[in-house]
Amino acid sequence: MSMRSVAATAAGRMVHAVLHGVLHRAASQLPGRVALAIDPQVVAHLRRKARKGSVVVCGTNGKTTTTNILAAALEEGGARVLCNRDGANMLPGVASALLPGRTADWAVIEADELSSIHILPQLRPTYLVLLNLFRDQLDRSGEIDHVQDVIVRALAASPETTLVTCGDDPLCVGVAERARATGTDVLAFGIDEDLGLPADRVPEARFCQRCGTELSYAYRTYAQLGAFLCPSCGFGRPELAYRAMHVRTGGGSVAFEVDDGETPPWPVQAAFGGVYLVYNLLAAVAIARRAGVGPEAFRRALDGYDPGNGRLQRFTIDGRPVMLNLAKNPTGLNQNISLMLADERPKAVHVIINDEANDGRDVSWLWDVDFERLADRQDVLFVMAGGHRANDLQVRLKYAGISAPVVLEMDEALGRAQALPSGSPLYVLTNYSALWPIKAELEGKERHDG
Amino acid sequence: MASGRSLRVLHLYPELLNLYGDSGNILVLRKRMEWRGLACDVREVHMGERATLAGTDLVFIGGGSDREQRIVCDELLAQRRELASFVEDGGVLLAVCGGYQLLGHSYLMGEEKVRGLSLVDLYTDRGSPRLIGNVVVESRIAPQPIVGYENHGGRTHLGKGVESLGRVLRGHGNDGLSGEEGCLYRNVVGTYVHGPLLPKNPGVADWLIARALERRYGTGELEPLDDADELAANETMRARLLGTSRFGRH
Repeated sequence: MSMRSVAATAAGRMVHAVLHGVLHRAASQLPGRVALAIDPQVVAHLRRKARKGSVVVCGTNGKTTTTNILAAALEEGGARVLCNRDGANMLPGVASALLPGRTADWAVIEADELSSIHILPQLRPTYLVLLNLFRDQLDRSGEIDHVQDVIVRALAASPETTLVTCGDDPLCVGVAERARATGTDVLAFGIDEDLGLPADRVPEARFCQRCGTELSYAYRTYAQLGAFLCPSCGFGRPELAYRAMHVRTGGGSVAFEVDDGETPPWPVQAAFGGVYLVYNLLAAVAIARRAGVGPEAFRRALDGYDPGNGRLQRFTIDGRPVMLNLAKNPTGLNQNISLMLADERPKAVHVIINDEANDGRDVSWLWDVDFERLADRQDVLFVMAGGHRANDLQVRLKYAGISAPVVLEMDEALGRAQALPSGSPLYVLTNYSALWPIKAELEGKERHDG
Repeated sequence: MASGRSLRVLHLYPELLNLYGDSGNILVLRKRMEWRGLACDVREVHMGERATLAGTDLVFIGGGSDREQRIVCDELLAQRRELASFVEDGGVLLAVCGGYQLLGHSYLMGEEKVRGLSLVDLYTDRGSPRLIGNVVVESRIAPQPIVGYENHGGRTHLGKGVESLGRVLRGHGNDGLSGEEGCLYRNVVGTYVHGPLLPKNPGVADWLIARALERRYGTGELEPLDDADELAANETMRARLLGTSRFGRH
């Protein structure tokens, strides 16, 4: 251990102690920044604290949820876990998460896809979980091809890492094929049956990652995920090490069994989420199982899972159920629409779209969202457009056949929701920068109410 | 209402050229025709199919990734002559982002110079950095300045006498230097304002529809629509970008 990394760790921990213990402030970034300023390689030093290993979770959608559930499951199994629970997913956030405490058993780390190239060579994780790849913030991340290249290079710089990825996503399988060619071990998970779900819009990956021919599908689960095969070169879904079977989704819950070909089928149930969550849970089960966690401990972790992080967070305000969820790209919003439409109660929807740097300045993607699906439904009583780009959203909704007022204040949205029958929910969907302020506002109102 | 008039719109290779919500343009054209009692017949042209330009009034070319743009370019080169006569005959064509680059003599993919369709006298090379951000353009074809988003590494240079779509009020435009954005040639509009150009710029949408009606029926007169929402979206962004917003964001 170098003097420099010792100094970096000590300084980082001191900042953590002051922020967290004295000022009671979130310590998700600054301690890591300080430590990295002293020793840019501090993560390579801190990684040894996780005695049993570490897991990095990447993917456009579902990183925070998967990371939190996996960390909870490992803890339920008796492990001490270091984790960047609140989603500070670039190198300073990772360093911050690794600083507290002397030792731990596991580190479970959410990583921004493009930051994987900085994180993997230092952390050298046991597993990289790659959940999915969708277009997201093209002005910041670039095209998906670029994101794939970065992940492949990150894996090449961490040869001991096993890639655990979604075998149903051609874009993830494209990454897996290239990583395998340079020596990375790969395990795939997927849904091994046709759920008969209506196909949503598929903006990407219609074409073979190897030869460019249009892919054919035995079935799709959502977006470009499903049992795909290239009719000309054979690029297709790999053999699945972890298969979800007997999958039931709808009504705001999911249930399925995980078959790993070795242990008895492992039942999983969650009282939230839709088909996308099956994949996130499947990934978490795969890692938990390999880390020695049993189905009972996993079930307890999931039953007690209430992260309060604005992902499918439920509130009751003046007796009205309010559901808050993050929706930051077309696939995320389309999955949110599916979730809402699985709820047959009359409802109102408030969509809030900002264009801060961490949202992406470009809101063109609103035209890739199937808002038309809301237009035909009698139970969607009204939709409101919010956020800094409320006017853009209002125009998008107009052309989807929905007349939506611009509503910039949560008070006004809740006021308008009074027109709903009692017990009918208000769904609030926001992209990134609005999520925390809205969550805080709703929590304040709930406290006031309760 | 029922005028019995109809226009045919050809959407070229939507499965490849769809990088930034490009289909919003088709939706806006369709709705703005239907709201006026004009029938709108949208035909998608897919890979391996030829564009049937006889009977077509309006062609749309979107933007794609480099790889996808190249595939489309190869496919369209084989149909260059038909496309050129469509354009010379006053056919209406809207090309955004990568589609705009295809209109010219050539563009660069990596270090390779790719031959374009030569429908308009322009060519594209490259510069650093990428030109990214919100953009406002004053154009003679729309009563309100055009507002949108650009994200391109290419620098497009117009030939002598080729008119630009308009003058850049905020943002970068064709090359970041000339202060010009896009091209306007006969009834062809090319622009780096990518993805959903038309929703916030109803004047551009109506200009395209009017030119197509004029060509087919001799008159391009359009019933006015209630564009309060569209113009509010345009005005909000314009005020923010040109610094006249009371809130002064960005």
